[in-house]
Amino acid sequence: MNITEVKSAVESMLFIWGDPLDLKDIEDILQVERVKIDEAINSLILDYESEDRGIILKKFGDSYQLKTKDKNYQYISSLYKPNTHRSLSDAAMETLSIIAYKQPITKIEIEHIRGIKSSYIINALKDRGLIEVTGKMDKPGNPLLYGTTKDFLSYFGLKSLDELPKLPYDEDLRSLEKDHEGEDEDEIE
Amino acid sequence: MEYIVNLNKFQGPFDLLFHLIEENEIEIYDIPISEITEQYIIHLDRMSEYRLDITSEFILMASTLIEIKSKMLLPSFSDNEEDDPRQDLVNRLIEYKLFKDVSEEFKDWEEEELKFLPKPKEEVEYDFKFNEQILFEEINVYDLLNSINSLLKRRKIEIGREPPKFNIRYDEYSVTKCIKIIKNILKDKSKVSLMDIFKIDFNKGFIIAIFLSILEMTRDNTIKIIQDNLFEEIYLISK
Repeated sequence: MNITEVKSAVESMLFIWGDPLDLKDIEDILQVERVKIDEAINSLILDYESEDRGIILKKFGDSYQLKTKDKNYQYISSLYKPNTHRSLSDAAMETLSIIAYKQPITKIEIEHIRGIKSSYIINALKDRGLIEVTGKMDKPGNPLLYGTTKDFLSYFGLKSLDELPKLPYDEDLRSLEKDHEGEDEDEIE
Repeated sequence: MEYIVNLNKFQGPFDLLFHLIEENEIEIYDIPISEITEQYIIHLDRMSEYRLDITSEFILMASTLIEIKSKMLLPSFSDNEEDDPRQDLVNRLIEYKLFKDVSEEFKDWEEEELKFLPKPKEEVEYDFKFNEQILFEEINVYDLLNSINSLLKRRKIEIGREPPKFNIRYDEYSVTKCIKIIKNILKDKSKVSLMDIFKIDFNKGFIIAIFLSILEMTRDNTIKIIQDNLFEEIYLISK
């Protein structure tokens, strides 16, 4: 496959898939080297950047997704009401930000920070596909560990978790973590 | 009315506490515990007045505040600043505040990104269903009849034959019977281990019935269950 063919194939796949599509999947299907796909994608991104195009190719982690441009949002919303987009509640946002920064994290650690039971919100975030169980902690009771998903990046328009801004009191936080490590163990029991 | 809405928005005890600290323009590292405790409790009272759910976490925080308040009333014998009874609460408040602030930023990102719309993936799934329909168009009702007949033949079932019979047996051991067994054992011995009782007839029905009997007898106060240590033998004693 030459670069033109790869570019065309990638564009078709992204269009029909709708959701973020993994680079790995594209690679498996097209059976071409990663470099070629990267080149095709970069070329597509450049094409879409043109002012007269209404689509943008966005990168989230290792996956790519076609979306309509934000400047056309008002026209699309008068065409139809995108009902899948209900914004998250304050409580959900609070919980999600804790998970995003401190992943992998257990429910008990989340509740320790929030000072309130969070099972319901954690489940709701899981149902929405923004977080997932990433493993189990090797502690009594083997509590589940939670982390953010690919859809989380897509939802907030982040290329990767590295794009999260540094916490303002990062130093303070690290010393805090050491302070209540012992406490958490007690709570798990 | 606006006040009620405000109350509703508290995401937990830390949130409420922060609201009070901000409202009173208090320095977080030097919280006047006595005042804050009083205001916190007034807020809880108001919340219950408006029939808002006060979860146990809010009450826990109230008792933590009172505990800190009483500790601060006691004379301190140490000059070490780390012994400030407020320290742990302040640390947790700061950590909470950190994520509360960050979550505001998340909201901005969300709002920005919501203006970029993806194409819903459902259309692909619809396409699959469409393919299935084509598949069904090529068969008719007799194909269905044939296929069910061959399936029944393979499983050696004929339509119209009597349905298979199942025997439902009575439980061999009833709870009443088992209570009698336990009582009889305890007449001769002062105590008996659970395992020894199970050895009488090691089957599922018996074990379940014995279990229920023990619960029943404990409730009636006719026996007592003892265990010296975790995972050790469990003994029954008659009362």
